[in-house]
Order: sequence, then structure tokens, then C-alpha cells
Amino acid sequence: RKTEIYSVELSGSGDIEKTDKGHDKKYGGLKKNCLERKTHQPKEELKKELDLDDHKLSNEELETKYGTNIITGLSSTRAAELLARDGPNTLTPPKETPKIIKFLKQMVGGFSILLWIGAVLCWIAYGIQYSDDKSSSLDSVYLGSVLALVVILTGVFAYYQEAKSTNIMASFRQMIPQQALVVRDSEKKTVPADQLVVGDIVEIKGGDQIPADIRLLSAQGCKVDNSSLTGESEPQPRSSEFTHDNPLETKNISFFSTTCLEVSAPPAGTATGMVINTGDRTVIGQIASLASGVQNSKTPIGIEIEHFVHIVAGVAVSIGVLFFIIAVSMKYHVLDSIIFLIGIIVANVPEGLLATVTVALSLTAKRMAKKNCLVKGLEAVETLGSTSIICSDKTGTLTQNRMTVAHLWFDSQVFVADTSEDHSNQVFDQSSATWASLSKIITLCNRAEFRPGQESVPIMKKAVVGDASETALLKFSEVILGNVMEIRKRNRKVAEIPFNSTNKFQLSIHETDDPSDKRFLVVMKGAPERVLEKCSTIMVNGQEQPLDRSTAKAFHTAYMELGGLGERVLGFCHLYLPADEFPATYSFDVDTMNFPTSNFCFVGLLSMIDPPRSTVPDAVTKCRSAGIKIIMVTGDHPITAKAIAKSVGIISANSETVEDIAKRLNVAVAQVNKRDAKAAVVTGMELKDMSPAQLDELLANHSEIVFARTSPQQKLIIVEGCQRQDAIVAVTGDGVNDSPALKKADIGIAMGITGSDAAKSAADMVLLDDNFASIVTGVEEGRLIFDNLKKTIAYTLTKNIAELCPFLIYIIAGLPLPIGTITILFIDLGTDIIPSIALAYEKAESDIMNRKPRHKKKDRLVNKPLAVYSYLHIGLMQALGAFVVYFTVYAQEGFRPSTLLNLRVEWEKGYVNDLEDSYGQEWTSYQRKYLEWTGYTAFFVGIMIQQIADLIIRKTRRNSIFQQGLFRNKIIWVGIASQVIIALILSYGLGSIVALNFTMLRPQYWFVAVPHAVLIWVYDEVRKLAIRLYPGSWWDKNMYY
Amino acid sequence: MRRQLRSRRAPAFPYGYRYRLDDQDEVNQNYLADEEEEAEEEARVMVVPDLEEEEEEEEEGKEEEEKEEEESQAQETGSAWWRKWQIVNEYLSDPEKRMSLARTGQSWSLILVIYFFFYASLAAVITLCMYTLFLTISPYMPTFTERVKPPGVMIRPFAHSLNFNFNVSEPDTWQHYVISLNGFLQGYNDSLQEEMNVDCPPGQYFIQDGDEDEDKKACQFKRSFLKNCSGLEDPTFGYSTGQPCILLKMNRIVGFRPEPGDPVKVSCKVQRGDENDIRSINYYPESASFDLRYYPYYGKLTHVNYTSPLVAMHFTDVVKNQAVPVQCQLKGKGIINDVINDRFVGRVIFTLNIET
Repeated sequence: RKTEIYSVELSGSGDIEKTDKGHDKKYGGLKKNCLERKTHQPKEELKKELDLDDHKLSNEELETKYGTNIITGLSSTRAAELLARDGPNTLTPPKETPKIIKFLKQMVGGFSILLWIGAVLCWIAYGIQYSDDKSSSLDSVYLGSVLALVVILTGVFAYYQEAKSTNIMASFRQMIPQQALVVRDSEKKTVPADQLVVGDIVEIKGGDQIPADIRLLSAQGCKVDNSSLTGESEPQPRSSEFTHDNPLETKNISFFSTTCLEVSAPPAGTATGMVINTGDRTVIGQIASLASGVQNSKTPIGIEIEHFVHIVAGVAVSIGVLFFIIAVSMKYHVLDSIIFLIGIIVANVPEGLLATVTVALSLTAKRMAKKNCLVKGLEAVETLGSTSIICSDKTGTLTQNRMTVAHLWFDSQVFVADTSEDHSNQVFDQSSATWASLSKIITLCNRAEFRPGQESVPIMKKAVVGDASETALLKFSEVILGNVMEIRKRNRKVAEIPFNSTNKFQLSIHETDDPSDKRFLVVMKGAPERVLEKCSTIMVNGQEQPLDRSTAKAFHTAYMELGGLGERVLGFCHLYLPADEFPATYSFDVDTMNFPTSNFCFVGLLSMIDPPRSTVPDAVTKCRSAGIKIIMVTGDHPITAKAIAKSVGIISANSETVEDIAKRLNVAVAQVNKRDAKAAVVTGMELKDMSPAQLDELLANHSEIVFARTSPQQKLIIVEGCQRQDAIVAVTGDGVNDSPALKKADIGIAMGITGSDAAKSAADMVLLDDNFASIVTGVEEGRLIFDNLKKTIAYTLTKNIAELCPFLIYIIAGLPLPIGTITILFIDLGTDIIPSIALAYEKAESDIMNRKPRHKKKDRLVNKPLAVYSYLHIGLMQALGAFVVYFTVYAQEGFRPSTLLNLRVEWEKGYVNDLEDSYGQEWTSYQRKYLEWTGYTAFFVGIMIQQIADLIIRKTRRNSIFQQGLFRNKIIWVGIASQVIIALILSYGLGSIVALNFTMLRPQYWFVAVPHAVLIWVYDEVRKLAIRLYPGSWWDKNMYY
Repeated sequence: MRRQLRSRRAPAFPYGYRYRLDDQDEVNQNYLADEEEEAEEEARVMVVPDLEEEEEEEEEGKEEEEKEEEESQAQETGSAWWRKWQIVNEYLSDPEKRMSLARTGQSWSLILVIYFFFYASLAAVITLCMYTLFLTISPYMPTFTERVKPPGVMIRPFAHSLNFNFNVSEPDTWQHYVISLNGFLQGYNDSLQEEMNVDCPPGQYFIQDGDEDEDKKACQFKRSFLKNCSGLEDPTFGYSTGQPCILLKMNRIVGFRPEPGDPVKVSCKVQRGDENDIRSINYYPESASFDLRYYPYYGKLTHVNYTSPLVAMHFTDVVKNQAVPVQCQLKGKGIINDVINDRFVGRVIFTLNIET
């Protein structure tokens, strides 16, 4: 097939018919999908846009339509009116949830609702008490207020954290105000681009961003870069001619936010256009609004946290209700039962956990920001870790989005040029005389120039006036030969034929820099087949040889080979004009062509490509080994896409597409078993005809897929297809055309430097250095934080049982209350906070990049083994340890455990001031109360000491602590120190504040729980040992969380 | 089967999930048979850690997958509720796979056994702990007594709110005080005291050296010491005449000894309001004090017949028909009666409201 060779014309309009056909394919999908999707997602705007007919109108008709004048422009007053009517020419930023709603969501989200219920129950209980007895104590009100305060504080904290990470993004939105040169009141004025209105006449220079959708009125050799709209790297020619019915393809319309690369010569190097659409009504605006129409789905970690909240809340409520019923049937007062219910809820809800998770996530976010991964929403931090499919855009994401010389062919040999970002390492053989000639042609037959005033800028970063290929050639020669401008000066240009679509070549005539050589040098470059036609000889090793069949064949092979790599191939030839026929004074006339244009000497071929970023192949390999499937989705041509995919490893070296197999076996494509092919290249056209089921099959059966020629909608469809596979999908992209898919993805990743604002605002993560490899960092950090959150949650859940058991024992066995609600809050929000954050600093246990991504429905954050092990194993051991401390305190003070049984009622009677203990001593009610608080403190200390052991064992899930290194994570020790210090302060510093219910505990009680802590550690080591020794066993399945 | 299992674990396998779904039934059925062998096999093979995780996933996901399966079947058959019921039912017991609650019977019994042993050892641990605790604690003498010191004070008759409201002319309103006092004083009956306890010399501690576990003797405190408030002469303890008796006792504390010298005295006065609301109080014993001979207390176990010394306050002339707040304080060396938080340490406050 002819399209196999993707030879692209040097510049200019090319052959219209062919391009248009291609465009049809590209946008056909868009149109159709619009109609398809309309039923459930009204996307009529885009459809409407297609009815645009401004491109068909003549200039006069346009003037009438928009009430403007091409020469004088709009009047300022009219412009002001229109501005008032249509609004500024900017994209409406996506609607933000009002801050107050966000805040309220934090207030009722997660466990908050349970705690609110607790607080309200407290107040109700007080109300009932108060109506019975006016002098009833304010304890319940107090507790209720504390609970409410806890909810509000954690809510404010979470809101603040979330707002902080959103603020980082806000800075992105402050675009540099763009200026536009506009004709108003017959004068040229520079106005901010957002002031443009329909009917304005604007002038555009090369390098400008198109300030709105414009209908070109006059333009010469204008080329635009539509990559942000379509993903094509090649410049698209634009002129004032109406060339196609479809407004998206016609040459006389250029679109908002695309870049005008070049405008050649008259008049004054500018193109003039009339603004026909502004702001959200532009094509880009509509795609952007398509993106904002896509609902943001919940992040995977959000789902996991919700799942976990449900589990914990379920446990809390069911135990609470169960014991409420038990309490009522044990003839407790309903009021007391309500108080128990509150206690159980408070004990069961890990109040500090969500705040901890937020902090842990924001720590990771900060760490990632340092590595140039900026994360917008905190929860997106983890998403990359769960990602199983990455749909990557090609242009600008995988590639550098700039044409670069990739291969050279001369002396019948293919040479590889360095395509890395700085070109530093050009190793091909430059000794051949052919190269000297070729380099001269490259240097001279080129109109691109560096912009002045960039002496200190590295060559590859210098701004250039000229189209992409010429820029590539200019930079290439500058790197190899040094100062190109100087060479050009020495070889003065005497005449030039710029590229045009009929010639398909570019020619220029120069004096030579050799003073003894008075001949003129004609240099020519252009489409290889066209250039070859003009040649009669070919240069081999600096010698001209007649162009015979074998050399022509070699040329064709090379041409096909390079074309097959998806590269744009150019041919170069030259001719020295005989000095006698063309003396130095000869006047060349490019119109009459008074010089020979045939019998040139063919020098070589040179091919260019938008090369992959140098970090990408490595990153792709790493993602692969991490079990992540990478799919390329691009608007570009399939051949180019496939070539890039192969060079970065998205299609691995030894895998074939169905077409490849067919070609190898020499059979029809239909005869090949689709399952044999690992790779697949699918175009937008093919995708358009696919049913969702077929797409699913495609996605499931091929591990290496490239989608080419896709529209923004199709990108969306592909992402949805991947999500149907239960995959967590990351989408990377930089263009506006990517933004709907970025939004739809579980995590959208935008490029920070090349990315458009639409892409950045739709994305959840921005790679500040545009380095695809940062994604690997993201995956690693995401997986690590997922593992570490598991540890944090396990750590936090454990003590819940130790906090809950006292209430249950209190209700059933009638012991004086071992731990108070306020004390529980001091554990949850005091001693436990820093240690649980410290777990976020834990290093990975094994190589997390060598395992598969988690399955979103099977590998939960909180799974059964985690809950069971935390609650029923370590939690219970902790409760026992804490009870031992409690019993020790009471027994040493005079109340032996046997006496304590069923003592609750007498104990709590305020008027009993001579309650007997086991020794016959009599206690006043306040003395008992004080002892009870000592009990609280003792229980608290017991839990705290054992939480230290819990913290240490949670450092790992499988490895021994000693394998992991006890002291490697210093923050853990900071956590332990904080735990102890807070407990010491509570007991000895604030022990005298009655309301806090802490007392000064005798020093020896701090050590009662130590053996239990050691026991916990030992038990967990045994568990881990058994898991390591018997992988896959029953024990492993049930004890590994 | 074996091969499939292994291939599922192969890390490079690209479409693990899909294939796993297909295999699931088979896996479930053969699971038990293969379990042990598998474990051995895997131990030999030395699998990479993460692969086990996957194995676990299956266990985890089993129930969900069943649900999925069910759902697809039931879609044709019935309503959503029926489907849900089926799922729950299936989850609770699945005779086909001999499973209930997503586990097989064998799995359940294994769990029961393991948990039995685990909790049994925990019980053993706590028993050991408590045993050690009791070893360190003397049954005769509490380890610490600071919390219960200084001694609290309590009065009899027993009234919930320490408000003595009664109407002299209505015996019903004070009868329960009388009953309470009578009951309380049974242990102080002279005959009983003389039979059980010794008459020890007043004005000095009744110290009984000897082994901790020896039974200790107690000093007599006879009911008759309380004179008019003993209920012997006036069986209504003065309530019938509007001159109520209230008994005051100091809380027992093992080893507590009031400072030598003047014994601890009791004195009552109007707490708030007109001092003259109480015009006279008689104390019995007349010294209004707790004699040193009743101290120290040796604890319930050995000091079996110990009876707390009492001081009776006879409010012989109190303003009638109004609430009179009364505060009775202990006074003496080393006695604290002004703890803000504890209104029963060294003092007791109650109100008398005698109606006529």
C-alpha cells in the first residue's frame, strides 16, 4: 500500500486531496461520536460548531455578517458592545465546588457523621438528665462539645490540607496575559487577547498564538502547529482559500490556542484574519467544555478509604447497638445505655486516622513535588500506584515535540544521528567528502534563522524563525558545523526559490566561500523522489558517479526504510554552475528560471522525526516490569505512531501486529489469528466501527496497543474501555485534545512545560519537567503510600479494641470504668498521631516496582486479614495488657479484681461515701473518682506502651523487623518519643487538671505493660516468620494483610 | 490444574485477571485437596513475595466473584431483591461447594481450632499475670493507702441526698431513719460488743504486734456510749420530738492512726446562714471525739470484729420549718477538712428540715 511510506512534503500545502481525505477520517469519528453520545451526554455544542460556514463566505459576506470592515476594523464602541454581549475571549475555568460546600463535606464525611451522632446523643442525654434533675452534672454536655470540637477540628484540618494542595494549582491558571494586534477604528492597536470580539481584524506574525478562532483573510506561506488540537507534530499550511466544506479542515480557518509558526513575506510577514468565535465558543473552548462535562470519578484511594470507613462504622454501629440492647435488657437505664453507646462509638472510631491519612498523603505529595510531580488532589497521590494501564499521548509526552534529524543516508549507507535532547553526541562518520557537500546543502538551502539575542542560550533551546523541519536542520548543522549564520554569510545567497506545493523542492543559489572558485553553487532539497528526478549523478565518497539502476535502487531502499520508520525524508542535491556560463555578474531570475534545474548531483537523504524523549524508553520498561500496560493514543499518523511506539518500547522489539504477521507469512490479514499478535495498531477509523465489546476484546487480547488518528472523543472512549476492564487508568497528555480523556481517567497527567492550560486544569497531576520518567516515580510513591497506609490503618485500628473492651467489660461485668471517653480521645488524637504519620516514612519491604498493580476490587486497603489480625489478635492482646495495668492499680490501692466485679452501681453512687474495698477500708465518692481516673491513666499508659510495640511491628508486613532495620526509619523513633512525652505530660503535667481525668501515675505502673508489649512483638515476629516459611499456606492467606 | 495455577502466578502473564475469573470454579473445588501440597510446593519453589499476595486476593475475592456470577445468572430470572437474597443465601451457605460464609467446613474448623488455641494461650497469659499480681500483694495490708487518706466522714441514718426532711407529727416521714439507725446499731449492741470485743484502755493506740495473718482483737464500742442517741431510752432517736440524732463515723483506713495527743473531735455548726439556727447540739460520747484506742485498723481479714467508733450529734434545738445546712467537721492534728473537690473528707454537710 502506498500509505505505508509516509513521506511528507517539505512544507507548503502538499496535495490537497490526500490531506483532506486524512482529515475526514480524523474528524469523522468526532462527528459520529457526537451523535452517538448525545443520548446520554448532550454534547451538541460540537455538532453545532460543525455547522459553521464562515469559511465558505467571501470577505464581503463576512463583513456584513459580523458588521465589520476588513480595512478599518470594528469601532471601539462596537467592540465594547460585543465584548459586553459575548464576554471576554477566555475559556471559562471549570466550575469549582464552592468552598463552603467543600468545607461542609469535610464536616460530614467519613466518621464525622458518627461523631456528630455521638455528640447529639450526649446533648440529648443531658437534656433528659436535666429534666429529671436540675443539678445533674454537665459531663455529657462537656463530652458532646468535645466530640463536636474534634469533628470540627479534623474537618478544618482536612479542608486546609486539601485547599493547600489546590492552591499550588491555582498558580498555573494565571496565564501570562496574551496580546493581540488588532485593527480598530482604522488603527492597529495592541490589546489583551481576552478583549477580542467577533468581527475584530487581527494580524498574526510567525510565532504568535492564534488569539481566537479566526477566518484568514490574507496569508502567505502561513503554517500553524495544530498539535495541541489534533496531536499532529507537522505544521499545517494555512491560507485564505476555502478548501474544504468541513470547517475543521479548511485552510482558511485557524483555531484558538494553536500556534502560528511562520508567515512568509508579503505583506510585512503577517497574516490577517477575522475573529469568528471567541472564548468558549471556539473549537478549543468546546473541547475544554467537553472535558468539564466529564464527571470526576472517585479516586481509588478515596474508594478504599470509604470502604474502610464503612467497615469501621459498621463495626462501631453494630457493636454499639448490640450492647445498647444488651444494656437495656440487663435493666440499665436507657439513659445510661445511651452513654454506653456513645462510649462504644467513640472507642471504635479512629478519630485521628483520616487526618493522619491526609498528612501521609500530603507528605508524599510534597516528596513527589520535589521530584517534579505536582499532584492536585491529595488522593491522586496514590492513584498512580494502583494504575494498571497508562494511555499516553504521543506528541509532546513521549516525544520532544520538535522535529529532529534522526538518520542520514549518503555514500549508500544509513547513519544514525543523535536524537537526544541536547544532540551532544553525533557519532556518525563525518570524514567523507560527501558529508562535506551534504552539510553545505543543509546549511545553505535553509531559510530558518535564530532569533537574535540568544547568545547564551544552548543551541537546542534557541528560538528559531522557521518551520519545524528547517529548524531541525538549522540546529542540526549548528551543532555539527558551528556558526551557521557565519557560513551563510561567507556563501552569499544570490537567488532563491522558496518551497511550493507544485515544485515540492526548495532551491537557492550561492557564491562559494572559496575565493579561487568563482562558480555558483545551486543547492536543492525537497521530496526525495522529486529531487532524484532532477539528478543525473550521485555523489559517492566525494566523487560524482552516474546515477545507474543499482544506485537508484539503493536510494529507494533507503527511502523506504526511513519512511517506514515514520520519518520525514528529504533529498539533497547540488550543482556547481560552470563559471564561464554564469559569471559572477550573472543575474539570476527565479521567475524565468534562467539557470539549469536538472542534471544535479544527488548527495544524500536525511530523515527527521519528532524523537522520543530520551528518558521515555527506560520509563516504559520500568512501567512494564511493574505490570503496567502502556497504550499509545495519538492523533498522529499510524506509521509515525508505530515507529515511535517501537522506539520507546511500547511495542517491544519482537512483537508483531496482525499486519506484520500477515506480511511475514504472506497471507491475508483476515487469515491471521488475532490472538497471535501481541501488538496492535488501531486507527480512529477502525475504532469508529468497533462496538464496545470489540474494543474490550481488543484491549484484553493485545498487550501492546497503539491508537492512531484518534479524536478527543475517541480518546475518551478508549479510556472508558480500559476502565471497563477494571483497570485503573492513567492518561498522559499535553494538548487540549487530551483534556477530556485526562479528566475521564482515574488520574490525568499533564505535561507542565509543553502542556496546554486546558490539559493542566483537567489533569490530576502535572509533570513539571515534562519527564515521562517522573511517572515511574509516581507509581513507586503511590504503591509505597498504599502499603504504608495499610500499616498506618492497621496500627490505628489495633488500639480500638483496647479502647472498646473496657466499655464492654464495664457493661457486662460491672467493673468501674477502665478508661474514659476523653482519655480515648487523647490516645486517638494525641499519642497516636505522630507515630501513625511516621509509618508513612517507612521504606518498601521488597521491590514494589516488580509486582503487578493491585486489582481495584480484590486488593483492598483494608482487607479481612488486616481487620481480623488488628482487631482479634493484636487488639485483644493489647486490651489484656492494659487490663493488667488497670487491675494492678486497683489491687494495689485496695480493690482486688474480685471486689471490682459488679461494683459499678455502688461505685458510681455519689452519695455513698463509705464504700468498702477488699481490705475493709472505706472510700468517699471523690476518692473513688480519683482512683477511677488513676485507672484511666493506667489503662491509657498500658495502651500507649503496647502501641509502641504495635508501631514497631507494623513497620513490616512480611519481613522481620530486623530485616527491615529497626533504626532505619528515624521518624518512627520520633513518633515513639512523642508518644511517651505526650503521655508523661498528660500524667505529670496536666495530672492536676480535673477535667482531663488524668492523674499522676506511680512510675512503676508505666512498666507493667512492657512484658505484654514484648509479647506482641514476639507474636508478630512468629506470624511473619510463618508467612515467610510457608508462603501460600492457610496461615499466609489469613494472616498476611 | 496445577499447571494453570502456576501459570496464574507467573508475573509476566499479561491478562491475569481475566484468566483467573475463568479458573475460579475449578480452583474453589480443588482448593482443599491441593492446599497442603500447594503449600509444600510453593515452599520449595521459593516464590517471590508478591505472588502470594495474589493468592490471597483470590481468597478475598472469592465471595465477590460468586456474587458476580450470581448476578449474571439471576439477571434473567428474577427481581433485584430476589437476586440479593440469593446472593446472601449463597454466601451464608453454599451446599454445592460445601461452603458457608464463603469458607468450607474444613476451613471453619481450622479457624476454630486456631482461635481456640490462641485465646487459650491468651487466657493463660492473663492468668499468669494476675497470679503474679496477687503474689506481690499482701491480703492483709493494701500496698498503698494514700488515695484513701485523709479519712472521709459519713453519717447515719442513710439519706440519699443528705437532706433530712421530716415532719415530727407524721411518723411516716421519719420512721425509715429510725429503722436505718436501729439496723446500723445492731452491731454495737452492748451484749455483742462485750462478747466479741475487748475493753481496752482509752487514750492510747491499741497496737497488736505479731504476725500479719494473726487474728486481731477489736476494742468495744458499746451502743450505750451514745446515751440519748443510742435508741435505748428513746427508740425514735429523738425524731418524734424534733430533736434528731445523727451518727457520724470516720472512714476506716488500714493502718491509719490519728496523731497522738488530743483525739479527733467532731464539731458541727450551721454551714451557711444564721449561726443561731442551731442553738444547741449534744455530742455522745460527750468528748465528741474518736478515742485513740480504736486505732489502728488492721484490715477486714484479721480485724474481723472491728467496729468503727461513732460520735452521735443530738440536735436538740434547731430552727423548725426551714432547711438548715449543717456542716460537721473533724478537728484534730493531721486532719484535713477543707479539700475543695471532696466534700466528705474530714467533714460532712447535710441539711435538716424539721417540720412541725
